[in-house]
Amino acid sequence: MEQVTIPAGQLRRWRTPQEVAALAQRARRREVLTQTMIYALLTLISLPIVVPYLWLVAAAFSERVSYGIIPSGFTLNNWRFLWVANLGFVSGTAGRLPNIWQVVANSLVLAVGTAAIVVVVSTLAGYFISRHGFSRRAGFLKGALALQAFPGITLLVALFILLRSLNLLNSMLGVILVIAALHLPFALFVMKGFFDGIPWDIEMSALIDGASRLRAWYTVLLPQARNGIAAVAMFSFLWGWTDYIYVLTFVLRRSSWTMALYLNSVIGEYRFADYGLMAAVGVFYMIPSLLFFLFTQRQLLQITLGGTKA
Amino acid sequence: MLLLFLGPFVLLTVLFFVMPAIITAFLALTNLDAAFQGTYVGLDNFRGLFADPLLPRVLLNTVVYVFFTLICFNTGLGLVLALLTTHIPDRVGTVFRAIWLLPRLTPMVVYGLLWLWFVDPTKYGMLNTARSWFGLAPLDLISASPWLVIVLVNGFIGASLGMVILTSAIKSVPEDYVRAARVDGASSLAIVRHVILPLIRWPLTFVLVNQTLALLTSYEYILLVTGGGPFYDTTVYALYVFRRAIQNGDYGYGAALAFILVVVGAVAALSYWRLLNFERMISAPKIEAD
Amino acid sequence: MGRIVLDKLGKRFGVVEALRDLNLEIADAELIALLGPSGCGKTTTLLMLAGIYKPTSGQILFDGVAVNDLPPQDRHIGMVFQSYALYPHMTVFDNIAFPLRLLRRPVDEIQRRVLEAAALVQIEALMDRRPSQLSGGQQQRTALARALVKQPTLLLLDEPLSNLDAKLRVLMRAEIKHLQRRLGITTILVTHDQVEAMTMADRIAVLRDGLLQQVGTPDDLYYRPANTFVAGFIGSPPMNFIPAQVETTDGQVAFAAEGMRLPAAEWTAPHLAGRRGGPVLVGVRPEDIRLSLVPGESAVQGRILDVEPLGRELVVAVTVGRQVVVAIADHGFAGKPDQPIGMSVPPERIYVFDPTTESAIV
Repeated sequence: MEQVTIPAGQLRRWRTPQEVAALAQRARRREVLTQTMIYALLTLISLPIVVPYLWLVAAAFSERVSYGIIPSGFTLNNWRFLWVANLGFVSGTAGRLPNIWQVVANSLVLAVGTAAIVVVVSTLAGYFISRHGFSRRAGFLKGALALQAFPGITLLVALFILLRSLNLLNSMLGVILVIAALHLPFALFVMKGFFDGIPWDIEMSALIDGASRLRAWYTVLLPQARNGIAAVAMFSFLWGWTDYIYVLTFVLRRSSWTMALYLNSVIGEYRFADYGLMAAVGVFYMIPSLLFFLFTQRQLLQITLGGTKA
Repeated sequence: MLLLFLGPFVLLTVLFFVMPAIITAFLALTNLDAAFQGTYVGLDNFRGLFADPLLPRVLLNTVVYVFFTLICFNTGLGLVLALLTTHIPDRVGTVFRAIWLLPRLTPMVVYGLLWLWFVDPTKYGMLNTARSWFGLAPLDLISASPWLVIVLVNGFIGASLGMVILTSAIKSVPEDYVRAARVDGASSLAIVRHVILPLIRWPLTFVLVNQTLALLTSYEYILLVTGGGPFYDTTVYALYVFRRAIQNGDYGYGAALAFILVVVGAVAALSYWRLLNFERMISAPKIEAD
Repeated sequence: MGRIVLDKLGKRFGVVEALRDLNLEIADAELIALLGPSGCGKTTTLLMLAGIYKPTSGQILFDGVAVNDLPPQDRHIGMVFQSYALYPHMTVFDNIAFPLRLLRRPVDEIQRRVLEAAALVQIEALMDRRPSQLSGGQQQRTALARALVKQPTLLLLDEPLSNLDAKLRVLMRAEIKHLQRRLGITTILVTHDQVEAMTMADRIAVLRDGLLQQVGTPDDLYYRPANTFVAGFIGSPPMNFIPAQVETTDGQVAFAAEGMRLPAAEWTAPHLAGRRGGPVLVGVRPEDIRLSLVPGESAVQGRILDVEPLGRELVVAVTVGRQVVVAIADHGFAGKPDQPIGMSVPPERIYVFDPTTESAIV
């Protein structure tokens, strides 16, 4: 049998124990060094994110904050906006800052309203597009996909004029409709995805058992899509709660302000005078977002392609 | 049944999505102003674009902003974060990724507040507090380097999306490739370079393209932190539309500016049909009963 | 040179023990197969040999040197993964050249060695293709070439034939075996397919649930199985197991089971000494059963359950009492289902196992 040429070096002993020990140690050192460097780098670049949030919480509860983030003098005075009747003037106008609870109510109306519309509309449409065939289905999906990729914010001017002519400026309804509509394509694909994931067998056996398609939807499919509905509800609540541009543009009447405008005004008014107050309002505003964040981190980090605005 | 289920969706999206696009086109052809008076002026607004003294600076701002934020942060930092957090134990990696998602989840105004505090030109701003530790005088960062500010502000938010998508992509590289590379003699860095990066080319491209459009049309953070100023120094195109139309009331002209953006957005949106795996999305339903 | 010793090797994942106390010696230039069902620990062992997993107990010795802490890149090994793991964005040439490029060998040396490796597996014509343009067999050869190009001391193969179709499998197992002999590289092969192991390996180590059952040549395992697991795992159709009692009549030992009585071979008597009247598990290989359609001729009578033609031979399932026994008959067999049939087994072809410990008595 022919032999393949083996270089002379290979005929000697494979490795000595010393060589192996040295290589193993080198590998171990390299591993430790790499891990340390990664941790150090990550900590370093993440500090600029962590520090401001620490400051925010610290400033909200302190009289002064020294050395940037070290609080001193615990106080709840910064939170006085919650109980003081009128806090002060809105700079630039002769008007007063609206009552915080009115503002909270407005924000809730906006957030819940948006969530309600988005959930209902997208669940209905998402189910239908997922489970029914109809003649223009492909075209419909193409259109929805295009809408989802399209930046709705470019339509701001037209929307302003549109809402004005429909007399929906200054009412929560106008903003609700705009925010809901602009996010519907995304919500549609989320719900469609959830309905797509329900096995056909379940629906088929419901039909064989005698249910109509409508009844099958109601009793079988809808419960299965619970998670999707919850997700969409949470997202749209937050879109409504945190929105700034649309409320800024469409809501001019002070009594209809939402938290975003309230905080914006507080910043404008107290910017160099009272960081504590600003921080307190900020923390107050952030609470729902923070709750959402804490409860859903793991799911958020699993979102892949499909267009996310999360 | 079709009407009941799809009706609301179609109604809302046509009314608030499609119609405004058309309205923008029409508005662009008028000179509607703050008093809501206006007449048809044809393509005057578009001609006016060329004569607009502010526009060149605005366009320059936009190019600088989009380019640097995209490359350095949205894609660059996103990739770096994804690579770093996937090379440490997963639970710790998740913590870091959660930290970087925090800005995106905080209400815009609050995030703006944090940056305002950071760049505060008095000695109480975070930057200036840090500067004082080194004996440096307070600095007005917005005036000193306006572009830096808007890139940073949007970058910290933008990095998170790239990070999430690329992390998922990196995690889905089959284990065998990494193992084979190790046996072949590759160090971790060589594995990243020769195995991981080539295999995440597609999601990386997606992030690049998707974020370009997103950056072109975003301006809320700039509005909050710099207001577009000083003067128009940090005003990007999308913000310019807002300032001219909503703040100044030049609805007609603003609509013309917006129209261009609408067209760009439409082109990008339509090219998504090619980009995404469309066939997979429209797999036909299996029940044909009605 | 390529001598491997596994010394009390064990691997634990959290609370799950994937491998326990494995002791195995592998000689230089030997081709040994790790055989067993999924979950038996064979792939875990392979990955520990590669350095991708670290042992939680015991040692791995290459030429007498413990390599537990040595990373994969320093172990001088080549590995072919079940999925081949060919880098999809590189050509065949680049795939094979990759290990050499990582070692920073000079360009002309890389060129020469890559072509040599490609010639070994006969893929010289495919150098410019991408993996997606290759057939399964070609991909495997490329993976082999990549594993061999750095002239490793040890070659590891993870289920090398499982992704190939039946015809290619027969071809490739001969080729791999021939290549291994020619190069003289110690090779460890992991498989769940006993045919693969039997046809390719010099020795086979059978694993089950993390424990080594038996190690030996194919003949050792086939004709002298250490326990019922090995006996039932090797050979197709598998061995028949019949619970029986040890009986002695006139000094003659026999196994009595429901509806049958099989005389034992004489030399087994001393081994069965303490088991008179006790239960045993009798093992009979299908090919050792003599079938007879002549009524009354054979010791055991049963009824044909089913006849499965395989072309060259037939598999005949027979019911005896409540037991089903599988036998192999030659092509000319004329039996039909429900026909009565007689069976006999030469006493020296009977395997005996202890019912509780499952180990072989004879």
